[in-house]
Amino acid sequence: MNHLPVECPRCAFEEISLLATSPVPGVWDVVQCGRCLYTWRTIEPARRTRRDAYPDSFKLTAQDIENAIEVPAVPPLLK
Amino acid sequence: MAYDDLRSFLDTLDKEGQLLRITDEVLPEPDLAAAANATGRIGENAPALHFDNVKGFTDARIAMNVHGSWANHALALGLPKNTPVKEQVEEFARRWDAFPVAPERREDAPWRENTQEGENVDLFSVLPLFRLNDGDGGFYLDKAAVVSRDPEDPDDFGKQNVGTYRIQVIGTNRLAFQPVPMHDVAQHLRKAEEKGEDLPIAITLGNDPVMAIVAGMPMAYDQSEYEMAGALRGAPAPIATAPLTGFDVPWGSEVVIEGVIESRKRQIEGPFGEFTGHYSGGRRMPVIRVDRVSYRTNPVFESLYLGMPWTECDYLVGPNTCVPLLKQLRAEFPEVQAVNAMYTHGLMVIISTAKRYGGFAKAVGMRAMTTPHGLGYVAQVILVDEDVDPFNLPQVMWAMSAKVNPKDDVVVIPNLSVLELAPAAQPAGISSKMIIDATTPVAPDVRGNFSTPAKDLPETAEWAARLQRLIAARG
Ligand SMILES: [Zn+2]
Repeated sequence: MNHLPVECPRCAFEEISLLATSPVPGVWDVVQCGRCLYTWRTIEPARRTRRDAYPDSFKLTAQDIENAIEVPAVPPLLK
Repeated sequence: MAYDDLRSFLDTLDKEGQLLRITDEVLPEPDLAAAANATGRIGENAPALHFDNVKGFTDARIAMNVHGSWANHALALGLPKNTPVKEQVEEFARRWDAFPVAPERREDAPWRENTQEGENVDLFSVLPLFRLNDGDGGFYLDKAAVVSRDPEDPDDFGKQNVGTYRIQVIGTNRLAFQPVPMHDVAQHLRKAEEKGEDLPIAITLGNDPVMAIVAGMPMAYDQSEYEMAGALRGAPAPIATAPLTGFDVPWGSEVVIEGVIESRKRQIEGPFGEFTGHYSGGRRMPVIRVDRVSYRTNPVFESLYLGMPWTECDYLVGPNTCVPLLKQLRAEFPEVQAVNAMYTHGLMVIISTAKRYGGFAKAVGMRAMTTPHGLGYVAQVILVDEDVDPFNLPQVMWAMSAKVNPKDDVVVIPNLSVLELAPAAQPAGISSKMIIDATTPVAPDVRGNFSTPAKDLPETAEWAARLQRLIAARG
């Protein structure tokens, strides 16, 4: 593909990196958001790839990501 | 008939008419997941699916729904494909008694054919990764057998764990990993992280069909999944030594991924459409750095669709969840006849039991909740009489409707443990649990008017067998 998407459909972050390109040249790329790690293929339906079509219930904010609970919690170090 | 790898099982499914090869070009999304999703909606003997023409890929081979029907589950155990579910569970329980069967080590594992190491690891170049559900955070490895060892006792073969966990691909050589606190790998990770050490791990993809069953089976911490696979196969499980970790991995795997869970690190993962029929995540989860990938030439990428039940996942872990509960209950309560723990990994369980004395059935229900699996699941138990088949839901509903006096037979216990993924838990990990006693009261519990039941005629069982023979002969 010629250029990467400009924003994450899920959290609107603007640093998108390339993870993979299609073995058949030019068919699709797999890209990833630098903040929420959302990963998508560029030829997926709009509901998964475009911010304006992405369902609100799946959207994440910077706070959601920062405040997400740890599973499992990191245990205390044994001394 | 024991299968040593996925490919030989796919051949059998093909011969038995239980493999559908889809050769028309399909989209990686949403077609692969939608087709597998559809297998759960077309009846209980749906075929496995094999795709080899996926848009943009050149050599992708993808198998889905391999265990996704009662016919396929029977064939995985080497049984005739029309074996009834109750018989599959009984046969599974019978073979369990051969445990442990020592594995057989082999050196010539086919996954030694190709290797990527260190900086050259690129999972996307080995696997045709794709998304399952709309809201998933990314692409998942969801049918792997993951091998780890107890850092305090690394030489104990029994404590070496083989389990299935959800794994999100978050980089060309990075994975996010969900160890549910009730599961063995979480204990291994805690011990490593308490010492500030990474936990080595081996992730094996595309395994023989019994390996997939034991990896999803709730076994005791120090019981070996390989020794259980041997018992279920009726032949030693073939294993090989993974080159980087030295762990024991299935000989027949398509792909072996090795690396470490990085100590004391958590990163955003998910959400993922889970077996509960609900999404869970995003949470901050452990992460894996992949250091080595070994793989067969043209590997078959096996994945399963899960989401709103029933899906392949329910066929895969349904029977293997029934059997440990059946065995553990019978150990103390031989009155227990059969256990159906096939709904949402056993969040709901139906048990048929004879009664020792009044109140006994409720005790069996409480014991189910305190088994190792029950601690994280078994939020509802329905007890039925010994002559009710817990796999026959109309019979169960009859018992519920005719035998239950709600005031006396429904018991709710508050604030017990349940896995965090349970959607109804509040807070996550805590739930009330319910026992419904749909058995006939026996003395000294003298309630109701149950003295004149209508039983099947004495000749009925013989006639049922005769009719089945006639139907089978008709073809
Ligand atoms: Zn994002």
